[in-house]
Formats: sequence, C-alpha cells, structure tokens
Amino acid sequence: MSDLINVKVTVNGMAYEREVEPRMLLVDFIRHELGLTGTHVGCEHGVCGTCTILFDGSPVRSCLLFAVQAVGHEIRTIEGLGTIDHLHPVQEAFREAHGAQCGFCTPGMIMSVLPFLEENQDPTEQEIREAIDGNLCRCTGYQHIIQAVELASDKLAEQRQSVKEGR
Amino acid sequence: METKYFGKRIQRNEDPRILTGQALFVDDVELPDMLHATFLRSDYPHARINSIDISAALARPGVIAVYTAKDMGDYWKPGPLLVPAPTAIPGVVFNKRTQVPMAREEIRHQGEPIAVVIAKSRYIAEDALADIVADLEPLDPVVDVEKALEPGSPLVYNDLGTNLASHVQQENGNYAAAAAQADVVIKAHIVIDRGIAGAMENRGLVVQWDPKSQHLTVWATTQAPIALRNGLSGILGLSESQVRVIAPFVGGGFGPKIMVFQPEEVVLTWASMKLGLPIKYIEDRQENFLAMTQERNQIHDAEIALTKDGKILGVKDVFVQDTGAFNSYALTVPLNTQTHTTGPYKVPNYYSEFRVAFTDRILVTPVRGAGRPYGVFVMERLMDLAAKKLGLDPTEIRRRNYLQPEEFPYRTGIIGQDFAKNILDSGNYPATLDKALEMIEYEQFIKEEQPKLRAQGKHVGIGVVTFTEGTGVGPYEGGRVTVEASGKVSVATGVGTQGQGHYTSFAQVVAEQLGVPVEDVRVVTGDTDQFHWGAGTFASRGATVAGNAIHAAASLVRAKILKLASKTLQVPEEDLVLENSEIHSATHPTTCIPLGELAVKANPSRGAVEPGAEPGLEATAYYGPPYGATAGGTVAMIVEVDTELMRVEIKRYVIAHDCGTVINPLIVDGQIHGGVSLGVGNSFFEKLVYDENGQLMNGTFMDYLIPRATDMPYIEIGHLSTPSPLNPLGIKGVGEAGAIPTPAAFAQAVENALADYNLEVREIPLSPNRLFELLEESKTS
Amino acid sequence: MKLEGEYLFNGPREEVWNIVRDPDVLATCIPGTQTLKQVNENEYEGAIGVRIGPVNAAFTGKLTVSDEIPPESCTLTAEGKGAAGFARGVGHVVLEEQGSDKTLLKYTGELIIGGKLMSVGQRLIDSVGKSMINKGFETLDKTLATRLAAKS
Repeated sequence: MSDLINVKVTVNGMAYEREVEPRMLLVDFIRHELGLTGTHVGCEHGVCGTCTILFDGSPVRSCLLFAVQAVGHEIRTIEGLGTIDHLHPVQEAFREAHGAQCGFCTPGMIMSVLPFLEENQDPTEQEIREAIDGNLCRCTGYQHIIQAVELASDKLAEQRQSVKEGR
Repeated sequence: METKYFGKRIQRNEDPRILTGQALFVDDVELPDMLHATFLRSDYPHARINSIDISAALARPGVIAVYTAKDMGDYWKPGPLLVPAPTAIPGVVFNKRTQVPMAREEIRHQGEPIAVVIAKSRYIAEDALADIVADLEPLDPVVDVEKALEPGSPLVYNDLGTNLASHVQQENGNYAAAAAQADVVIKAHIVIDRGIAGAMENRGLVVQWDPKSQHLTVWATTQAPIALRNGLSGILGLSESQVRVIAPFVGGGFGPKIMVFQPEEVVLTWASMKLGLPIKYIEDRQENFLAMTQERNQIHDAEIALTKDGKILGVKDVFVQDTGAFNSYALTVPLNTQTHTTGPYKVPNYYSEFRVAFTDRILVTPVRGAGRPYGVFVMERLMDLAAKKLGLDPTEIRRRNYLQPEEFPYRTGIIGQDFAKNILDSGNYPATLDKALEMIEYEQFIKEEQPKLRAQGKHVGIGVVTFTEGTGVGPYEGGRVTVEASGKVSVATGVGTQGQGHYTSFAQVVAEQLGVPVEDVRVVTGDTDQFHWGAGTFASRGATVAGNAIHAAASLVRAKILKLASKTLQVPEEDLVLENSEIHSATHPTTCIPLGELAVKANPSRGAVEPGAEPGLEATAYYGPPYGATAGGTVAMIVEVDTELMRVEIKRYVIAHDCGTVINPLIVDGQIHGGVSLGVGNSFFEKLVYDENGQLMNGTFMDYLIPRATDMPYIEIGHLSTPSPLNPLGIKGVGEAGAIPTPAAFAQAVENALADYNLEVREIPLSPNRLFELLEESKTS
Repeated sequence: MKLEGEYLFNGPREEVWNIVRDPDVLATCIPGTQTLKQVNENEYEGAIGVRIGPVNAAFTGKLTVSDEIPPESCTLTAEGKGAAGFARGVGHVVLEEQGSDKTLLKYTGELIIGGKLMSVGQRLIDSVGKSMINKGFETLDKTLATRLAAKS
C-alpha cells in the first residue's frame, strides 16, 4: 500500500483534512471520507456525468480526478445548495417541473446546470439540451429536466430582480 | 367525481430528499467494520475451470477472505426459477437451467463470477483480483442464436444434449386456412438485437449479519424486496422474520433489478454470516455490462394474410430468442412478444411459435417493454409492408383493422406471461389514432409540408403506430394505512420504488380518501419489515395493483374514521366530511374533531374496548386483478434523415396515450418521456456488439450510446382515458408505454423519409452506420 | 481479428532469420516487453505491458515457434493473459529474398482478444496492434543494421 497523503480541501465552504492513499478518486473521497453521499457514481469512466461537482466553480467529473488533485481547491457539491426545508431555486424548479425521477443523476445534473445558468441567464431549449448533454439520465427523457432549467432561469431572474430592488 | 388530490399534477413528496442529496441509496449505507467485496469475472464466454489459486490474493494485506464455488460446499446450488415454467401452455418445452452462485466447473458467459474477494477497502479488493490465478481452458462459445439451434453446434450444457431451452406453439383460429383464402400474403424476416437496461445506478448490496440478534439486514437495489427476503431466508435456512430486505432509493430499475438470488446476493449473505461482519458490494459500470441481465435478440419470420381491401385474415410469426446462459426468468419476454404482436388489431387467425436457445451470453430478462416492443415492431412492419403493397395509406390500413371500443373484453386466445388466456379489458384505439393525427397535423404534413420539404431536397418522413401495453398483472399487492396521533398518515406497501413517484401517487390515493394533505401522507415502499406481502415492481403494475390495494385500505380506514367520528361527534356518518385533517359535520362545521385526536381515541391507553375491536385507525387490504389491464396508444413521429451523415433527427414526436384513470398526470408524463428515451435508444443508438468469439466489444458508455439530451425530441403527449373496468380506480399501467411503439414508428418514419430509395427497415437497433449500409444496398438492388 | 502485413528489412534473409529467432533481440524489439526467456528450443515465456487507450494491461504469456523451415518460414503461437483480459494469436511468417541485401517479411494471422481489453479498448486495438508491430520491425531493422555494420 502506498503512503498516505494529507489532503486539505474546502467543500461547501467547510475545511476538511484527511489522510488518504494517493490513488483515491475524488468522488470516493467526497462520498466515503467526507460522507457527502449526494454525489453519485454512475460509470467511473467520465461519461455519464452523475458525479459532477463544482471545482473552483467549474463543473468537473469527480470520478476522473484524484483526491490529491483537489488539495487547496474549492469544491461545491449538491449538499452545498439548499436544504430539505429550504430548497435552492434550481432545486425548487426541479421539484415543480418533476425534473427528477429516481434521483440518481439529479445531483450531477444540477451541478452542471448551476454554472450554466450563471453564464446564460435566459437560455433557449436547444442551449439547455447542449448544456446537459454530458449528463445522462435514463428516467426522464430529459424533457422535464429541460423544463426545470427553464423554470430555474425564471426563478433566478426573479431572485436577481429582488436583490436589485433591495427586497 | 370532483377530487381534491387524485388526478392532480402534484409535486412529489420524495423530491426534497432527492434534490438535496439526502436520499439514501444503497452505496450511501455505511456501517462500522464494513468490508468490501469484488468479484473475479470470467473473460471467456465459455471455459472449463481447471484450477483457481487464491493464495496470493489471500496473502495481500487487507484481504479478509477469498472464496470460490468450491468453498461454498453444499450451499452452492443453482437458484430457483423466478417465474414458474408456463405449464399451462399445451405442449410447451421448457428446459430449466438457473443461475449458480459462482461458476464451479464450467463458465457459461463472459462476466460470470468465479471468485469473490472480501477486503477492508474496495481498492484493496480490486487489487487482489489481479492476484488470483485462474487456470481456465477456453471452450467453443455459443454466440449466434440461430446457429445455436443447428445440429453440430457447440453446447452450453453438454448434459442437455441441445441448446434448446424452450419451444412454444400457440394458435388462435387457423392461420394456414386463412392464408389459403387471402388475396395477399406478405412475409418479412426481422432481426432485433440486444441492449441493456442502463439504469444510472448500478447494482449494489450491503449485507449485515448480526450474530447477537441472529438477524440479517440486506440493503439492495432490488425491484422485488419481498421475493428477495423470502428467497434468501430459504436459501440460508433462516426464518423469514430473521431477514429484513430494504430497497431504499433505487437509481432506476427498468427490469433487471427484478432479478433476485443473483450470484452476488447469494454469495455475500453467506459470506457475511460466515465472517460475522457487514459487507458492501457495488457493481461498477463495466461489470454492469457483463453481469446485469439484458434483453432480447429475437429473429422473426413473420407473415400476414389480408384481403385486397386490407382486412387482416391472419398473422403468422415464428421466431427464435436468445435467453443467454440461463433461463431463470422463464418465458416472460417471448410470451409478452407473442401476446403483444397482434396488439390493437382484430386478427381472427394467429399462429405464433418460438424457440428459445441457450447461448454463452448474459441471461435475458425483462427490460422496460419486456418483449412487447418486438411484437409491436414485427406487426407494425407487416402492416407497413401491407399498406405499401395494397396502395393504402398506413393510417387507413390500421383503421380498418382496429378492435372497436364495443368489442371489449376481447379474448385473443393466446396465453400470456400470467399463464392465462389473454383478455384485453378495454380500450379505444381509433380515438388514440385520431388524437395523434390531429396533434401532428397528419393531413397537412403529408399533403403540404412533406411535398414542400422534399422539393427542397429534404428527406422527411412520418411514422404512425398503434400499440397495446399489457399492464397491472397479478398476482396481488397489499397496503397498510395508519392514521397516527399527529394526524399524519403512514402507508406501507411491499413494492419497491425506482423513481416512479410512488411516495406521491400512493399518498394522493390516501389523501383523497382521508382528507389530509398529500405531504402529510408518508409512504414506505420496499422495506420488508414494514410490509411483508407482495410480488414487486414490474410489468407496469405498481400504480394499478398496489395503488388499488392502498385505495382499498384507505377506504377501510375511512369507514373506521366515519364510524368512530359519528359516535364521538353524535353526527350521522353520512353528514360527516373529512377534510383538512379533521372530521366535521357538513351542516355544522364547528362540530369537529381533528383526525389525530380521533386516532388517539381509537387507540386508548387504558380502559375496556368492545369485544372484537381493532386498535387504531388502521387497515390492511390487498388487491389482485382477475387479469391485467391493457393500456394503449398511438405514436406519430416525423423524422428528417441527413443522407450525408446518416443522422436521423426526430423533428416531432406525438403520443396519444390511454392508461385509464390517471393518479398524477405529471408523473405519468414523466413515465412516458422516459419510456420514449429508451425507445429512441433501441431504435437508433443502443446495440451490444459481440465479436464472433462472444466477446463484448462495447462495454462502456463511451461505445454503447444511450440517448443524451440532444438526441431526444420534444415529446407531445395527449391523454385519453378509457378506465379499466377491472379495478375500482380504473387505472392501467404506463411504465413501458413510451418504449413499446417507438422503434416501430421510427422504422416507418425513416422508410417514409427515404421513400425514393425504396429502403426497407427490418431490424432494430439501427445506427448511422447501419442505415448507410441499408441505403447503399437499396441503391444496388 | 485478422492480422496481415509485410515489412522490408535491409539485410539478407539468413541474417533476418537469425535475429528474429534470437530471444534477446526479440525482447528488445517487442514494445513493452519486460522479460522474455527461452524455456526450451521452441518455447518462450515472458511478460509484457501494453497500453490501449484507457487500459494499461500487464500480460504474462507464452510464445511457441513451430513448423520451422529456416530461413524461410515459421508459425508463431502466442498466448497471454492478465487482469485486463487475454490475447491468443497464431501467425504465419514468411521471409522472401528481395535481391541479395533485402528481405521481405510477410505475416498473416488471427488474433483473439477478450476481456476488458476488448470491451473498453476495442476501437483502439487495431491501431495499437499495427503500431506495435511496425515499431517492433523498425527496431529489428536497426538491430540488423548494427549487426551488419559490425560484421563488415
């Protein structure tokens, strides 16, 4: 067995420190070392997008990175958004539009959608399809997910508006 | 009937947990001292095991145990049949060969487990797989289903002397006589290849044997927790009350997760009892391609006999099906094909015969659609060929042959997956056609738009297909409804949930009866300690069978509420109203009692009760349909084929669907969308490719393509409702609706788009490559 | 999978035959070879590492030479297996004289590949295989040139 390596990362604004093997995948680190099991594993070869997290704000596949590569970086996972009692607007939109069925791909899907909606505040249906093209879903045929993203963009616009108006 | 919750587009109760990453999936279960298992799987499809040397693996630090079949002693034995052999069919041949825990002497498919490593971490366990030295002697593999049945083929089972697993012949009427009188007889050779279910969550299992309480807990990604509990307790020699199976949130089922007593389940429960420690096993995606059951590979020789005005006189279909190395799931898939071929049409004479062959490939079990799409594909291709031959519009030939609404219940005379002669309970197929044609503006498309686009050099085509979906089959499900002291309601049922929204739709059924908000109804599915009777989630039966059982239980609870409230409030039962979690007088709304308070009264802590009184506001009820409810619909699809790149774009996709009464249209829409995406995959993307040696060549999502967001059309849904007369709620299932008609409609639309080339699509799945080949062939022929 | 190809060596046939039949030379010429030792006259055992796309595979295996007609032709049978799968191949090699100082090596054969190597790497097996064969021949040709230079 290899020597353990010290990994210090910030996840959802919290600092974590663990000693892990250099070969440990980032997704296993997040799930099993930190206990943040909202990030799922679907293919372990970087295609399905289920393990998508935000790495310094950009969506990445956490099954294609080692935990050690995250040292000193900021990670955001699904647990860093809303809570059960107080959903984030994107989560609310997914609920209202029935954007999740089994829910396995959903956290990765939402983590892909978040930065997309920051860049593109009023996306077309085709732009949304392209934005989530790297996240596979077997339950929904994507249609309600696309509607959820449209709804989320409205909700975020309202939120921005109300911030602007100082409400 | 005016409803408050039933039939409404209500947000799902389970979503807050799912959307925040708090939903518990099997891989999220963490237990103290938990070990991790991985399986050594055969690279060869067919091989003899000479020896397996596990010593180096055992010596690796962190490895706790390594077992092979030989270590299992008498515990090693082939598993039970999951579905009984259909002895009800006269003359049926069924040679039973079921899965074994691990291969012992002979390996019969690539991916079959030959050893298990149990270690302190999954990383160590995977390292140790490479330490195992397995001396395997390759044998000639049986790869091709047709060659498997030829004399001289290598055998999957030498002791059987044949690769024939089953042979079934069924006939209603007399096809030969009908064909002799027909004006036209059209024949087609149709090939349907293999694909995967492809749930985003692979299979997983956590097993925990507690030696002190002598109790086994199993968290499993199963669609059939109760069947798994019953089977495991039998295999392990435990009482059923010593085994608890929990199917927590399951990341998609689509059929294969109905498979129980799989090697991993049988081996790891045994190992956990041996070691006295919990063990986790999470399949990876590559294993999923090699170890999770798959579907189909059928080769049909079909024919249809018609009068010159397009009336069907008879249909004949003779096909072979590949069952893989085992037939644990008996004949559900080919029987579904057999019963769904004639679909919505009146076919007075129908002959169907199939042979099932063993091959050295992964076992075939139902995948969403479960044989139905291929029956529909065969029939609809025949209808299209007939329309062409007779010069009829494809919609017209269908219209001339539909069963009419007044002809139900309609007996097809063919025995289906529930071993009874198939009866279509109700339906209105012409109405679904009308609706679909109206939605897609059929006349306008074929008369104006298509000619215009063709003049611009575009290859656009339309396909219209009607289908039936046998749903809601027996035997039965049950439900228990309990009003708690808080006024909230808990519901338990035996089926498991893999995304179908049961936590919400079942809550709606109960909320409607008891007058409580949907979010106050907490539904538990898939935990055998909560409810321990039932069969499982398959064949689009959850809402129909469990839904009606829960409705029955809720009705009983409602009666108890009314009886006790009437006594408590001194108001006649018929004057009482249940709403907003209270019971009040219709005429004097202030004469009321909160539901929770009534629940407490029904469960007194002291004092005497009447003889025969049952405590609480609780009831358990069961529902078993006399036979399945048949849903149906019509799909219309417009495609454009790019003849340079051979891409097919689905420009419009319309489905007019009838699944009887709908509990939650939002959820039903989602079910249809998902089914369509599998159907699109089966049409144009998904095909498992094996080389001539039986090696899978595309065992990753890099090479096996499941539809992405940009591959999917926008799906327009029209709802019709012909309630099922079989169950009190009038429900029919919907889970497989989208998957069933899509390949047939796709083939018709592509043919129509390429009408200039006179190309015929007689196979699925297609792909850009394959379509290119067909186009080139059509140019030379 | 069918294998077929040829390579033109810059040397007389006898010399080409000698280096092809020299395990020490072969070991340096088959890309990724870690060990190759002769276990008897016509049989070799060895270990090789191959990288095909995402699969990094270590194989142990056996190479047998049969039907030998020096310096004209022989049949090679190779079998290897490892955690990433297995490979079995049979190849027939013919050396043709092209004048006095050039030799054309022609090979035909059949290769069966299985396991992860196939299910993950099949798209790349063909090109990786071809490039390995060509690299091997190039190295052999260089060794040949060195030997010939030393002799002259």
